[in-house]
This record gives sequence, structure tokens and C-alpha cells, in this order.
Amino acid sequence: MDALGTARVGLVVAFTLLGLFFSFVSMTGVLRLPDVYSRAHTASQADTLGAGFGLAAVAFAVGWEAAGVKSVLLLFFIFVTNPTAAHAIARAAFEEGTVPWTEGDDRR
Amino acid sequence: MWWVADTDADGDDAATGGEGSDTDPVDGAEPESPPAPTGGLVVPVEPTPTLRATIAYAVEAAVDEGFSAVHLVNIASWRNGDPGTDDRAASAERVLERAEAWATSDLDDIDGERPPVTVVTAVIGADEYLFGPDDYVDVLAAYAEGNDADAVLLDPEYTPVGNTTLLQPLEFALSNTPLTVETAPVARPSRRERLRTEATGRRFVAMFGLSLAFYFLLGDPLYWFDWVTGVATAAIVSITLSRVSIDVEPSMPRTPMRMLRGLIYVPVLLYEITKANVEVARVILDPRLPIEPSMNRVRVIVGSGLPLMTLANSITLTPGTLTVRARDSDLYVHSLIPSARDGLFDGSLERWTRFVYYGRASARLPTPRERDDCAILQGPDATEELPIAAADGGESRAGGETATAGDGDSPGERGDEDDETPEVTDA
Repeated sequence: MDALGTARVGLVVAFTLLGLFFSFVSMTGVLRLPDVYSRAHTASQADTLGAGFGLAAVAFAVGWEAAGVKSVLLLFFIFVTNPTAAHAIARAAFEEGTVPWTEGDDRR
Repeated sequence: MWWVADTDADGDDAATGGEGSDTDPVDGAEPESPPAPTGGLVVPVEPTPTLRATIAYAVEAAVDEGFSAVHLVNIASWRNGDPGTDDRAASAERVLERAEAWATSDLDDIDGERPPVTVVTAVIGADEYLFGPDDYVDVLAAYAEGNDADAVLLDPEYTPVGNTTLLQPLEFALSNTPLTVETAPVARPSRRERLRTEATGRRFVAMFGLSLAFYFLLGDPLYWFDWVTGVATAAIVSITLSRVSIDVEPSMPRTPMRMLRGLIYVPVLLYEITKANVEVARVILDPRLPIEPSMNRVRVIVGSGLPLMTLANSITLTPGTLTVRARDSDLYVHSLIPSARDGLFDGSLERWTRFVYYGRASARLPTPRERDDCAILQGPDATEELPIAAADGGESRAGGETATAGDGDSPGERGDEDDETPEVTDA
């Protein structure tokens, strides 16, 4: 394998690990954080960087082909739809009258 | 007559007497006792197909009812100082000039002595962004008060913010003011005609090009069959959606420039996202670092529609801040950690959004903190009360749910804030 191929594999592995890491962080956040608002923060984090790095890894792995272009498009759509979904969840909670958790609140 | 019934007087019998006269031949009865000359009649003006008929009706009404002035006002859909303002102000002036000419000639055409009605034109509301019907009503009411006018006549096709049909909420919002309101009873063009005139043109071309480009991105532009299906698909998409998806007419130097600046914004946003992500990841993974969530309010200075959506979505994409509610120009943002909140109040995303939509010159503005446009709604540093929606879990709003689509539902919901907390905590 030539140097360029090695570098590419390295990038793919690095991006995959980063994507896994941020997905893990996001999962931990959903389990640890106290209420719907703070969980919405971290749940959308999984999409932005978790899926972001994952798709970047895919794009590098398949190269400049139709599938690579499509994974970049997917990335774009995730970046547009993800905040919209997070906003919809948070707004629904807000309209239902859910008071955001603050320090000293007993809810967990 | 609609304005007579309300203007002269709070609940006396003359007003209710008007109801009885509804059944009488009203017009015949009026001239015998002409009402005391009321102030002015305000007519919001936009270049609609029914503008001519509305003005004719307004002049007739003013003469019949003894209004001293007809105020033709254009509510600015721009904010002075933004690029492109001059063009839009000039086109608003042209519309007003034309409307004034129509009104004057209608007055001259009246048989006999020329009635003592003056025609006044004005552009109002250009010093701030106007978002929902409430903002428009505020501006209208302020103008009416300053010019001694007490009635508003609406053009049935009046839509000040572009493609959205605002009239119903506007009429509703106006009903909360002392002004009396009527929609001019003029013939409206059929829907079909409207759709056709608006669907052709730049919006259609832009939508068509966009969907075709996307189709070829997924398909193969060198294969003839993809051309056939692509053109058909793009045509269907642009016929059905060009009025919905594109709410501002694309214009030549502006739209490509916005796209170009948007491209510059993408790496900036990615950098911000990554930076904030690392900070939030540390807080989540390290049990010793506490979170300090709070709800905050920021009043942002970007136009409604696409710029506001861009800003709100950018804020949400950045971990640690989450846009919960957009109420006109107020964004309610939940922040997870203090550093995210500080970043929000420093307004860098706001300046970038302004850069993308209005260019570099407009991006220089004070931060929300310096403008005093921000507030913390929770926690030890709270500076404002939390305007949480409904205390009963939203049941009271059940009836009006459909009307809230435009985010213009602020005043009613803020009423009962006192007794909500106990109920919600165990929810």
C-alpha cells in the first residue's frame, strides 16, 4: 500500500474513532443529564459530530464517487434537520410548561 | 357604519343604535345627521391587485363619513441602514405616489364641491425589524395616534411580509387596539390567477434549477433518461412548491452574494461547533464539573424568516445552547454551561448571520450584552421571570392551537405564571 493509501486509511480510522467518541459522549449525556432540555443538547450532539465524523469517514473510505458525494449531502441534511428537530422537541416541552431544571432542583 | 359605531363613544346608545340601523336603509339615513368629522382613515398600502379598488373605496368612505384625511401608509419591510434599503424605500415611495394619485383623482371626480379630505402618504416602521402581526399593529397604532386617526381600512390582499397571508391575524391583532377596522369589500382576483402570476418568474426558475441540480447530483447528468425524469420532477416540484419554499424573490447581485458568504460561514460554524462540542463533552464525562443549565432570552437583530431561522439553527447546532422558542425577535435559548451562555451573549453567531445576509458592513454591531438585549431567566443570576407557556400543561390552549403557527401568540400566554411550578415539577 502506498503512502497516500496509508494516510487515507489513517484518516478513516481517526474519523471513525472520533465519531464513536462523540456518540459515546452523547449517550452518556442522555443518561446523566437531568431534564428534557439538557438532554436535547447532548442528543443533538450525537448527530452533529458523531454522525458528522462517521459520514466523513465514509466519504474518505469510498473516495470521490457517487456514494462519497451522497454522504456529504447526508451530512448537509443532518446539519439542517438536526437543530430543527431539537428545537421542535424543546419547544414542545416549553409549551407544555416544563420548567427547565436548575441547580437545587430535586428532579433527576 | 362600522367606524361610527365604535368611534363616537364608549358604550353609549348611539353606538348600539347602529345595530338597529343595520336593517334600515343605512346609506339613505346617514347624510341627514353627518357624524362629527372624525380624524383620519389609515390605509396600509402594498402593491396588490386590489389596491386600486381599495383606494376608491377608502376615498368614498372618507367622503361619506367625514374623515378629514386619508393616510396612505407603507409599512416598511426593511430596516434603515441595511444594504439595499434605498431601492426598497424608492419602490415603496413609487407605490405610495401612485396610490396618492389615484386617491386625489377619485376626490376630484366626485360631483360638486371637492370634499375637504386631504391625502397624506407615509412610510412607517423603517427604523426596526417587524416580525409578526403584533409588530405591524404597534407601528400602525402609533402612527394613528400621532396623526389623530381612528380607523383602519385593510386591503383584502394586503400581505406586508411577502408570501404569507397575514391579513387574518393582522385584523385580529388590530381588534385589540382602540382603532376601528374594516376590510374593504372589493372583488378579489381568483386564487388560480394569483397562483399563476406568482408561480411564474424568478422563484419558479430558482426552484426549478435547484431541484434539477439536486436530481442530477443523485443521478447521472449524462444519461438521457435522467434528463426526462429530472425535468419532469423539477417541474412538479417548482410548480407546487416555489411559492412555499422561496419566500423572498431572488434578485441578481444579492442571492449569489448571500450564497457565497454562506460558504464562508460554513467552516466558521464547523469550528464553533467543534470547539463547543469539546467543552460540553468535558462537562458530561467529568463528574466533578457541574452543569449549570438556565433559560435565557436574547433579542436578536436579524430579519424575520430565513435569517432568523439560520441564526436559531446555528445556535442549536452549537452544543451547549438550544433555541427553545422564537417569539418575534426574542429568542429563548437554553444553555447548559455558563461558558456557552457567555458565547451566546457575545453574539458572534448573530454577527455572522448578519454578515451572510447583509454583508460585512452590517456585521459590525454591539454584542447583545452591550445592547442590553439579553436576560437570564433562571438560576441565581436571573434577571427576568421565566415566561413559561401554560401552567396547566397546555390544556387551556387546546382551542387556539391552530392559530399559533406564526409565533405571534405572546400576550395571552403570559398571564398565569404564579402557580405553575408545583404542578409541573412532578410531571
